[in-house]
Amino acid sequence: MAGSNEVNLNECKMVVPLNTWVLISNFKLAYNLLRRPDGTFNRHLAEFLDRKVLANANPVDGVFSFDVIIDRGTNLLSRIYRPATAEEPQPNIFELAKPVTAEVVPVIIFFHGGSFAHSSANSAIYDTLCRRLVVICKAVVVSVNYRRAPENRYPCAYDDGWTALKWVNSRSWLQSQKDSKVHIYLAGDSSGGNIVHHVAARAIESGINVLGNILLNPMFGGQERTESEKHLDGKYFVTLQDRDWYWRAFLPEGADRDHPACNPFGPNGRSLEGIKFPKSLVVVAGLDLIQDWQLAYVEGLKKAGQEVKLLYLEQATIGFYLLPNNNHFHTVMGEISIFVSSNR
Amino acid sequence: MVLHDSAMSTGSNSGSSSSSSSKPRLPPQQQDIDGLLPGAGYKVRSSELRKVAQQLERLETATVNSLADSSQLSSDATHSYYNPSDITSWVDSLLSEFAQPPTCPSEFIMDPVTNKTAIKNAWTSNEHHMPQVHQNISYEQQSLNHQLTVVTAMEEDSGIMLVHMLMTCAECVQRGDLSLATSLIDDMQGLLTRVNTVCGIGKVAGHFIDALSRRIFQGIGGVFINGGSGYENEILYHHFYEACPYLKFAHFTANQAILEALDGHDCVHVVDFNLMHGLQWPALIQALALRPGGPPVLRLTGIGPPSPDGRDSLREIGFRLAELARSVNVHFAFRGVAASRLEDFKPWMLQVNPKEAVAVNSIMQLHRLLGSDSTGNSTIETFLSWIRSLNPKIMTVVEQEANHNQPGFLDRFTEALHYYSTMFDSLEACTVQTEKALAEIYIQREITNVVSCEGSARVERHEPLAKWRARLSGAGLRPLHLGSSAFKQASMLLTLFSAEGYSVEENEGCLTLGWHSHPLIAASAWHALPDAAGDVPGV
Repeated sequence: MAGSNEVNLNECKMVVPLNTWVLISNFKLAYNLLRRPDGTFNRHLAEFLDRKVLANANPVDGVFSFDVIIDRGTNLLSRIYRPATAEEPQPNIFELAKPVTAEVVPVIIFFHGGSFAHSSANSAIYDTLCRRLVVICKAVVVSVNYRRAPENRYPCAYDDGWTALKWVNSRSWLQSQKDSKVHIYLAGDSSGGNIVHHVAARAIESGINVLGNILLNPMFGGQERTESEKHLDGKYFVTLQDRDWYWRAFLPEGADRDHPACNPFGPNGRSLEGIKFPKSLVVVAGLDLIQDWQLAYVEGLKKAGQEVKLLYLEQATIGFYLLPNNNHFHTVMGEISIFVSSNR
Repeated sequence: MVLHDSAMSTGSNSGSSSSSSSKPRLPPQQQDIDGLLPGAGYKVRSSELRKVAQQLERLETATVNSLADSSQLSSDATHSYYNPSDITSWVDSLLSEFAQPPTCPSEFIMDPVTNKTAIKNAWTSNEHHMPQVHQNISYEQQSLNHQLTVVTAMEEDSGIMLVHMLMTCAECVQRGDLSLATSLIDDMQGLLTRVNTVCGIGKVAGHFIDALSRRIFQGIGGVFINGGSGYENEILYHHFYEACPYLKFAHFTANQAILEALDGHDCVHVVDFNLMHGLQWPALIQALALRPGGPPVLRLTGIGPPSPDGRDSLREIGFRLAELARSVNVHFAFRGVAASRLEDFKPWMLQVNPKEAVAVNSIMQLHRLLGSDSTGNSTIETFLSWIRSLNPKIMTVVEQEANHNQPGFLDRFTEALHYYSTMFDSLEACTVQTEKALAEIYIQREITNVVSCEGSARVERHEPLAKWRARLSGAGLRPLHLGSSAFKQASMLLTLFSAEGYSVEENEGCLTLGWHSHPLIAASAWHALPDAAGDVPGV
């Protein structure tokens, strides 16, 4: 509401560093321009404004990257990030897909955020984040450029995630020496976190073993309006109105927010009781208006007897992990690193 | 449609850079860029963070309070001219959209396919839509500003689509995927029919599409076809001079600096690297005539291309300047030196008299020397060192403030798109149609050279002021601050133009002229410190 805007702007400025505030506000402003009231999306302007970076097969700060086409039918691209090794400081074009040499190498399949509509695997913010993950976790990261809404609704993003999972699992060069298997973790922020859950669910009984799920501020919702949604609406960069827009853009026409894609443990959800589901690390920001849904997700996992660790960061807002200038960032990176190494 | 798109970050991104060479050292005024934002693809100076934050807040409030819907802000006219990595300019440009309310009657464009008018999101003259922020700008002024920026939803999308496709096409060209690039050219030419090509993005896009076409179909090995005789070039140059203030600014600023530097000297020798019609010199001659204590003896050496048709145009211009000098009692001697390339000009051609104070004047010439010669030696370094050996009291350097000499084609293309969009935008302020049209051809030739040529054919190798500072210092020249009178003179020049929008800025002793705080031309002055006998100019 117009009247309370001044208070809102001041509040969120007090909890994040200035450059983070500028970055996220800039996104907020740009995103407002892209969502049209009739549900369409200004994709061309979005692509123009999105800051993208090229892959770089020359290591920069110990990480090199290259793009691969996983599925020609859907133009599904992924960007692969690998650590440069001391023995091979300068990989050449034939060695990009050289087998990993360590006993155990975690392979993190990463799904970028953007509420299903924004960003790409080659967006600068996600390229930077994936590079950090490689270094911190000593992992290979596969960032999936899944199809986005509103042009591609449910279940396209999940299909692409599933395709990527199958592809990663079948790469012999990603197998750890210890057991000749690919040690797969799924990770994602915002809509990417949502995709993580659904891809892991799809993988059940497929024979593909996912070792863990990492959900950073995952995007969930429901038809009901929760307390956190009412209290925090518009206060920390995000409004209920924009959340609703993105669900309308992603979910099938006519569906409401209790659709299982949005609300996996809701009235139309599926119980995971008795099912072999990966352990989960769920990070919830205390100033994220959808936290009640995220906490409900954690409860849902617990009730089904699944292993889940909740990291609740009281003073964190959305996007805190984009810049390494706050304690939450370092806490979360540390936890993720432990999470993917505990199977070694 | 390929999902991996081509709008690449050109900022110094510590996360990944597309070239394998070491990161360039940031020039002094850029060292205060926030260290973390480049990893997200944005460049903001730390000292400006607070201001940007305030601007973002203002924009938020304006968007909420105003009844204009955000489609106005989504128009391509707002976004195409600014590099989104530069949050400061981007937010400023959006804010300026609110300071200039849409008052023109609605413009409808007929969709040629459906024959329906696109009225969705069109601006209407309904007062209900005007934002609260109002100025005392007259209706005329507003409509002058806006007759060119009114767009409908269809145009808005086509315009931005064009930019997007241009970038994608350039990326294909860089990758060598010429078949995809070709089909994109076709698509873009089709799009051009739906976009207003008389002004705005449609106009500059057309030139870039042509340049890309040339590159793809004629290849880069061909000699750059200048497209016309030296005579034609002079005509175009003259119209560019008239249509917009950039060259006038260059001449005025250089002359002011030369005048100050030559104060007290009785014998002066001015060397002009590109005489053209000698447009710069009448003003200097007159100013010297009025100098307290009387004018010096003035020698002018003007360099220019040889005239193919038997005329000796250099000599003719020399005559005219001599006439002028005589009429104001200035002892004047002129020498023309014909050289088809600047690097063909050798020191011995100058015959500098040791008693003379030398002033060297280079208006948008030095960048032509940045391609290396056939032996791989650095032409520019050699050239600058012999300038240094002349011991000039002053060297005035004016260059395009742009980075059009990057090795990566896509980076160069992106920069050029932003730069020339801005320059074309500023040209819209010119009201004399013939001047404007010919000035545009002049600019178009630059675009063609930057985009479609390589090697020795690519002469428009513009580099930003920061790089020139490094080069000139490296050659043993030291900066001379352009004084406040130069700044005042430049600002006065601007008031002669009725168009709001040009801005002069001072940047560590140099002056830049730009459009809407986007610098396009930079002027600086240098001198050689008198060296002791036997000293080698320092590196």
